[in-house]
Amino acid sequence: MCGIIGIVSHKEQRASIVASCLRLLEYRGYDSVGIAALDVGKVEVMKTVGGVEDLLKQVDVDSISSSVLVGHTRWATHGMPTFSNAHPHTDCSSKIAVVHNGTITNFDVLKEELTSLGHRFKSETDTEVIPHMMEEWIKKGLTSWEAFKRTVQALNGSYAILAVVSGERRIYFARKDNPLTIGLGKGSNYIASDAEAFVRFTRRVVRLMDGELGYIEADEVRIFDFTGKEIAVGERVMEIGWSPEESGIIGYEHYMLKEIQESPRAVRDTLAGIRFDQVSEAASLIRNSERVLVVGSGTSYHAGLLFGHLLEKEGYDVRTLIASEATTLRPREGDVLISISQSGETLDVLNAVKNHFKKYNIKSISLTNRIESALNFVSDIRLHTRAGPEVGVAATKTFTSQLAALLYLKSLIVGEPTDYLEGAPAAVSNSLSQQGYAKAIGEELCKKSDMFYLGRGMGVPLAMEGALKIKEVAYIHAEAYPAGESKHGPIALISDGFPVFFVNDGERTALLINNLKEMKARRAKTYSVSVNSRIGADEEIYFEGDSSLAPFYISPFLQMVAYFAAVCKGANPDRPRNLAKTVTVE
Amino acid sequence: MIALVLAAGSGRGLEPYTTFVQKETISVVGKPVIRYVVDGLVDAGIDKFVVVVGDKEEQVKEALSGVSIPLTFVRQKRKGIEGAVLDGMSEVDDEVFTLAYGDIVAPPRFYRSLMNAYLEGGKDAVFSLVPVSEGLSTYGLAVIQEGKLKAITNTGSTLALAGAYVIPKGNFDNLLDYFNHLIQRGSNYFVWSGSWVDVGYPEDLIRAVESILSNRATEISEKAYISRTAVIGRGVIVEENAYVDEYAVIKGPAYIGRNVYVGNFSLIRDFTSLEEDSRVGAYAELAHALVQPRADVGSKAYLSFSIIGSSSKIGAGVVASSYPAEVTRSKVEKLGCLISPSRQVPHGKVLEPGYRE
Repeated sequence: MCGIIGIVSHKEQRASIVASCLRLLEYRGYDSVGIAALDVGKVEVMKTVGGVEDLLKQVDVDSISSSVLVGHTRWATHGMPTFSNAHPHTDCSSKIAVVHNGTITNFDVLKEELTSLGHRFKSETDTEVIPHMMEEWIKKGLTSWEAFKRTVQALNGSYAILAVVSGERRIYFARKDNPLTIGLGKGSNYIASDAEAFVRFTRRVVRLMDGELGYIEADEVRIFDFTGKEIAVGERVMEIGWSPEESGIIGYEHYMLKEIQESPRAVRDTLAGIRFDQVSEAASLIRNSERVLVVGSGTSYHAGLLFGHLLEKEGYDVRTLIASEATTLRPREGDVLISISQSGETLDVLNAVKNHFKKYNIKSISLTNRIESALNFVSDIRLHTRAGPEVGVAATKTFTSQLAALLYLKSLIVGEPTDYLEGAPAAVSNSLSQQGYAKAIGEELCKKSDMFYLGRGMGVPLAMEGALKIKEVAYIHAEAYPAGESKHGPIALISDGFPVFFVNDGERTALLINNLKEMKARRAKTYSVSVNSRIGADEEIYFEGDSSLAPFYISPFLQMVAYFAAVCKGANPDRPRNLAKTVTVE
Repeated sequence: MIALVLAAGSGRGLEPYTTFVQKETISVVGKPVIRYVVDGLVDAGIDKFVVVVGDKEEQVKEALSGVSIPLTFVRQKRKGIEGAVLDGMSEVDDEVFTLAYGDIVAPPRFYRSLMNAYLEGGKDAVFSLVPVSEGLSTYGLAVIQEGKLKAITNTGSTLALAGAYVIPKGNFDNLLDYFNHLIQRGSNYFVWSGSWVDVGYPEDLIRAVESILSNRATEISEKAYISRTAVIGRGVIVEENAYVDEYAVIKGPAYIGRNVYVGNFSLIRDFTSLEEDSRVGAYAELAHALVQPRADVGSKAYLSFSIIGSSSKIGAGVVASSYPAEVTRSKVEKLGCLISPSRQVPHGKVLEPGYRE
């Protein structure tokens, strides 16, 4: 997921205008940024690793001005976030520049063909095939517009593409399964991933549909479908009335709900993007270890606990540690470390790995949602989730993606087939379809000040994550316990109507039923999310499916409960008080 | 973009009230239900409306008087919801339009979200969905798989069609089939998590009052008269020329409309809406009640979870018992009475829960 902006105008504009638009697109996630401007003879490109601020610090963007400008913020999927992988990408002669959002699934075939024709590739990205292919068609005598059309026809996958060719005052575009919207200004036209980027300049927008391409000039916009039929632009013009900051969420009230809703895709992309060589290397390292140390903070710690629990069941010796406390454990020879962090920048995790475990020379594996991060840098094997950028502070789709990656790893370790995980995205969808019940429960819980989450076995880390989520966004004091532990103290707090949420993964139902009865006997209000067996809570949400996929039914539901409790309270779930997305202080 | 707004339904869930009144014109917190829809759509960028009306055409026209955007009214001739859409579509020139039900109470952001999802989704159909947990059989439900809208069914989901869609024109005899056809071609959706009420049953009107008044700040018109001994609580809106007499307590959240009279020692409790020109006598108590314009509630009456029709007269000492009642779409098992317009309830009468007249 990336941010794209293109501007064509009669007058020359300074490149800083693109930087200001890109800043508005940074919510889409970024780890590199770039701008291209058309000069007389060639395309001038400025780019850097990092965000818009980094670019502004490193280069004088206003040293160039042009009537045709494109810009891009990149969230890496193909290739690391490096200077050479940052967009725009150019052809061999630097006369064509392209920015792209999405994934070209047949890029390897196209790249091989283009390389054999003598094209020199400068990046590892899938995007770079586009300028080279255009260059190839132009060399064969086609106009740049024909070359662009032919190129788009050859692409498989999803894309929002902008292309510029030196000597022309126009921007070519194509869209498939990635947003792209045109803005109609006076003497200038705009095109961007979302209207927010240009709404300061114009509120007249032209909607693009999937499967359309065309070009914008300073006072002309032409749109065609893939069959070549021209679309009447006039019929597409819309005047938008809402304020720009509301367009970023694209339809949702909060990022948190949008991102929970994106979980099936995040899980699927994570599983599809797994690099078998890396994961099997990690699996064999763990298989041959004496002991497995798992380190994480917050949500990632809970993902680690679940992973540890599953490995322990298979006879492995596992210690799951909270990163900030991990330094009290002295590793032994034969230990292997796996560190988990959504951002890969969490300081507690970094400290534990870099300043403590590394000293003992043990092999380490990392799992992050950023293709390059500080944690990756200090790890021997780097595994990734592909959840896409997560804007909401509370981890949601990244947690389910971590679980998908860890379950895959665990299956390789113990030598079982991984195909059961194909059902994980559907399990998440199934959970999401029960959102109405999550809302009803969330609205009930939002009136409470304290609650318990109880589970057994795999349900314990999931209960802990449920409690963390409702604490984080709805400010409800929630404690999670292994259900068996509840009568050794916590039960003293139960009074009439005290909410107790049972996480029932279906494995130790009989024991959970006992715990539930104990709570009911003290007039607690009981809730449960249950997979494959019922326990008879006052409000029971029940799912049927593969029991090894239980976390994918349970977690999204608990996330939604927390979300709706927050909304009911009038709190902003995207920006919980006192919390930061990436914790970089001790 | 043009919006086709449906306001011709018979409103079976609100009978016999809807024998006399088009449900979209029922006043809730100062404006008719349909104005929530039209105002929201105008805010989202709609610049033209086609409104499908039935035999209570004049009531709908009256409810929409004052809307600054051009409105075309079409009388429904064909039967059912499909007939309403087909009749309305004859006045829609655009290939793609917004289809909105006139009986939804939701804030403007709901409609803005719809337009946002349409603008950026790259599909020619967008469906709004909303999580529901009660009365599931009364809604069309959406099946989502791997983040994509797959079908509209009647079971297996708690995500209901939320009553506002952007769709292309097409030949359809069956709305649900047409929606499923669009979904197969690829459509976009969003899930609305804010307040939303589909007005179909009496309890929906009570929930609508609650959802509008929740989180509202106290606003008292300078032109209202609040007596020195009256008590005004939190989240109370008092419109101009309202008269709150001595020792009345408006606990709130509550809405006191224009020219409303609240008598001595009366208690207006939470989520009560007294619409324009209505009167509440002395020592009366109201909670979760919607009193329509010009209605008169007698002294010492007790009304909760109730709807009182316009120009009706509730005698002194009338008690509407509200519990336990059967409700279709509310968790609260309470429902007082639904009194149609211009009725008279005799003094001292005790009404059974769910009483309708």
